[in-house]
Amino acid sequence: MELAAVVVVPSKEDLTAMEMGQTSHAAVSEDSQPLCSSRTPILGNDVLRSWMEPIRKLGVRSLWLTSRPRERSMAMDLAQFARQGVERFLMISLKSYAEMDLADLLRFHRDSQNSITEAKDARGNLGVSLLDRLAVPAVDPIYDSGVSPHSEQAPYEFGGYAKRILSAKERQELVGDALTGACAMRPSGARIREQVWIGEGASLADSARVVGPTYIGARTIVCAGATIGPFTSVERDCVVDCGTAVEQSTVLPDTYLAPGLLIRQALLDGRHLEDLRSGIVTDLQPLGLGCRTNQPPHKTSDESATEASSRHTSVGAAPFSARQPWLQVQL
Amino acid sequence: MAPGAIVKSGAATILPFACSSSSADWQSQRKKLLGILRFSTPPVILDLSRCTKLSHNDIGFFLDCLALATGRDTNILLVAGSQTNRVLLNVTRISSLVPVFDSVTEALADPMITKEIGFGDQRENVRQGGHE
Repeated sequence: MELAAVVVVPSKEDLTAMEMGQTSHAAVSEDSQPLCSSRTPILGNDVLRSWMEPIRKLGVRSLWLTSRPRERSMAMDLAQFARQGVERFLMISLKSYAEMDLADLLRFHRDSQNSITEAKDARGNLGVSLLDRLAVPAVDPIYDSGVSPHSEQAPYEFGGYAKRILSAKERQELVGDALTGACAMRPSGARIREQVWIGEGASLADSARVVGPTYIGARTIVCAGATIGPFTSVERDCVVDCGTAVEQSTVLPDTYLAPGLLIRQALLDGRHLEDLRSGIVTDLQPLGLGCRTNQPPHKTSDESATEASSRHTSVGAAPFSARQPWLQVQL
Repeated sequence: MAPGAIVKSGAATILPFACSSSSADWQSQRKKLLGILRFSTPPVILDLSRCTKLSHNDIGFFLDCLALATGRDTNILLVAGSQTNRVLLNVTRISSLVPVFDSVTEALADPMITKEIGFGDQRENVRQGGHE
């Protein structure tokens, strides 16, 4: 086997580290964890799936998925793959959505005779790299600090469409672009009219107003007098209560929003709201303004965290564990 | 300055508001502030700078203040004091009912206040003119 594809889902610690690194403004957050993970759906789509087709086009039949704990050496795991005959690794850290021609990246890697080629755009590293077997020991520094010991090697300059999905702001830009056809991603649902998509089993009250471009996910309930849109994504299994308006925002799965609210330019996940203008994350639950749809009020925060983690990491297969940190996904 | 202590600044009355730890504290502060609001000279600045975490009781209280102010034709201004408070005032639509500022200084510079100071000066001039 010449090429193996490895997709690294950033772990909780990685996400926190990334979020702290990205916070350039003087925002004070109540919770330093980013609200969305790599596996949180975007317009009903799993970003992992957006990488599957380009990988399949390279002739790779399966990919290896991992969420590596920080203390575990990825180099050691990759060395095992190398011993089984893998010559080269396509490493994708699931922190970006990029419409990248991976065959072109592979050609560049071969032509430039790099041992490591990292894909970058104008804003920096995209988390996509090609790694020759001999360069495997360099993989840990790349994933731990984002700094490659082979940084003198020519990077692959990517000029196509890319967004960092772990940044709430860029994620919202991706939602807007996908709703207006400015990128290849399309909402997962039925188009009921111009720039309005509805997922299976979603329910809209007669007096609810939907202003396109907007997406309403599967089984989401929009109550009387609520207004959704424009440039809004309410993901699956949410409830938007009576009279609440949601504009230029994303509501992540399983979120309940109380009646009469005005949500503008925000990312919401259960009880937490991130204001996209200021970066402030605030807790809506003490005010009775928002919570999880499936969370009884007596549940402890630890129980909720476990649920949130499993919700974001399930891949239609067994979730990651310390003993089973790699999953093979057929393409 | 104790919560609810009234401060006069030019033509405005500033009411500091603090988050209360207990229901009894909160009820007592509410009563005090509504009492002050009922008899204070307009406009009134409700300063939330000392309130780090708003509760649903606080939001209800602001709505009571607004209802009272509207009934008396009193202008009320809010000082959010923090970005978190500002976000919550936006989400609950309170900021669409009253102007919200980041600081008391900013609120005092608002035309609503400066106009009131102007009216005050004019009233003073008329009174002085009448004596002459």
